[in-house]
Amino acid sequence: MIDPGGITQLDLPGPAIEGEARRPAQSYWNESWERLRANRIGVFCGALILILALIAIAAPVFSQFVTHFDPARQHLSDNFRSPGHPYLLGTDELGRDTLTRLIYGGRVTLGVAFLTVALSLTLGTTVGLVAGYYGGWPDDILMRVVDVFLAIPAIFLFILMSILFRPNAITLAAIIASVGWGGVARLVRGEVLSVKQRDFILATRSIGARDLRLIFRHLLPNVLPVLIVAASLGVGQIILIEAALDFLGLGIQPPTASWGNMLTNAESYFFHSGWLVVFPGVTIFVTVLASNLFGNAVRDAFDPRLKAH
Amino acid sequence: MAQPLLEVHDLHTVFATKNGNVKAVDGVSLELNPGETLGIVGESGSGKSVTALSVMRLQRPGKIVGGSVIYKGRDLTKATEGEMREIRGQDIAMIFQDPMTSLNPVFRTGWQVAEPVRLHHGLDRAKAMAVAVSMLGRVGIPTPETRARDYPHQFSGGMRQRAMIAMGLTTTPKVLIADEPTTALDVTIQAQILDLLRHVNRDFGTATILITHNLGVVAGMCERVMVMYAGRVVESGPTVDVFAHPKHPYTWSLLRSIPRLDAERHEPLKPIDGLPPDLIDLPSGCAFHPRCQFKVERCSRDTPVLNRVGETQLAACWVTQSGVELKGA
Repeated sequence: MIDPGGITQLDLPGPAIEGEARRPAQSYWNESWERLRANRIGVFCGALILILALIAIAAPVFSQFVTHFDPARQHLSDNFRSPGHPYLLGTDELGRDTLTRLIYGGRVTLGVAFLTVALSLTLGTTVGLVAGYYGGWPDDILMRVVDVFLAIPAIFLFILMSILFRPNAITLAAIIASVGWGGVARLVRGEVLSVKQRDFILATRSIGARDLRLIFRHLLPNVLPVLIVAASLGVGQIILIEAALDFLGLGIQPPTASWGNMLTNAESYFFHSGWLVVFPGVTIFVTVLASNLFGNAVRDAFDPRLKAH
Repeated sequence: MAQPLLEVHDLHTVFATKNGNVKAVDGVSLELNPGETLGIVGESGSGKSVTALSVMRLQRPGKIVGGSVIYKGRDLTKATEGEMREIRGQDIAMIFQDPMTSLNPVFRTGWQVAEPVRLHHGLDRAKAMAVAVSMLGRVGIPTPETRARDYPHQFSGGMRQRAMIAMGLTTTPKVLIADEPTTALDVTIQAQILDLLRHVNRDFGTATILITHNLGVVAGMCERVMVMYAGRVVESGPTVDVFAHPKHPYTWSLLRSIPRLDAERHEPLKPIDGLPPDLIDLPSGCAFHPRCQFKVERCSRDTPVLNRVGETQLAACWVTQSGVELKGA
């Protein structure tokens, strides 16, 4: 047994003795979460996105009980109706209810955005972790692959892909992610290169942990903050890319509604029925703005450089 | 004498760089007996840390290009990575220089201290945590149950080093390698950590390799000491003898370059002239000869080998091996 004499007394951290009120252990995650919650704009924007997502998920419920229309149902005698009753946000050239189509479009657009983020983060993180941790030739090969992907002109790839595959939500997400993962891989690799220099990685190897445990148990949590920031900032950008592709007819194909392809049709009737442009446009604008502001809030909360010690 | 616990024979570790191979460890041999404390001293870049890391096969990106590390009759330089993982943390544990960075900031300290027993003894979370808490208590962390739930940033430097030592001890290893465990700590905390290491050595019977550049630490802690210079062992022997009668000019100069309580007041310290050698392009002969005030013609020609000088010591020096006593102004 170690004789504690002469050891314990000297190192007591002042009044912090059991029984007294002591500030509870704060993890990095708790602190970040507290900071995020204190950011009003961030909370508001995060809540807005959450609400939009919930509405999108519950789209059938809304179409049945709130708008009482089917997104694809044409009411040809009621086309180009102004916002009002019973079409709250009006109808398009085929007499389809704009609000219902916006809600269903949100399903597609937000679904594609989140799926794209998930795909590019998963692939990019794995590649970045492996390249950064092992270094040497695995790093060289993986990073050259990333360079190649980042050098492909995205718009041509999108056009080619949408010709080869008729895009649906899943293939569209895969197409956009195929361009986006490279940036994530670089980001993660850079972070790993800095984290792996720290002694705790060597210390963890010195207790006999295998590489997989080291990478996913010890390295990954340390790069998670940059991933969270990248994800929350990425959603807005991807919505814009997706809307642009839909608008150009390279993305989600009609009659499936998406915010982007609703704009495609509306363009022809801009002077005639402006609301057809305004509603999807404003929806995209607000969603992207909220995503970006939320992303900024997340970055402020999680970025260790802004962390007060 | 009992069989040594750990034997290193003629170990060579190199780092390939653009400018050539850096011979960080250039023919080091050592023996560690059960329960003893061996000191390795030398200045930065003398190869002491790389020697220790090579024993654990953690010298990446360096490469072991020769020699052997015998532990329990097995040559660790030829063991598979899986066998090494079994040995790391279970048979040989290591603690590092900078306790501020050697704990993972995202995990609770107790979780990390418990990790070796979870990996090696297959204990579940709760049992491993109980081991960790009791070990934290034994290394002098007050209220260990509470402290185990803290994150590393809530620990002071000294407490983190205690936690690292606790983590190393949970599996009751045979060998503890402490790589400059007190360098990053202030003097009072240094004394406490050294005290703790002494207790560990006595109470757990753990043989310790203590790497340091602090001669005072060696004097207080180690039965035997090994002095390294430019990747080679230049002198080794019982600490008392090496300090009283150094048999290598480097050790001799090193001892004269540190302040002593019994020296004349106002007597200036005598630094060692010159710079440590370039490890890519070592001087011919003895690597220390450009800085040596005792050098003879042979020193720049032939590389001296470690040989018995005096009763108990080994030194790699042509001068002392020929019977010359080291004395000087």
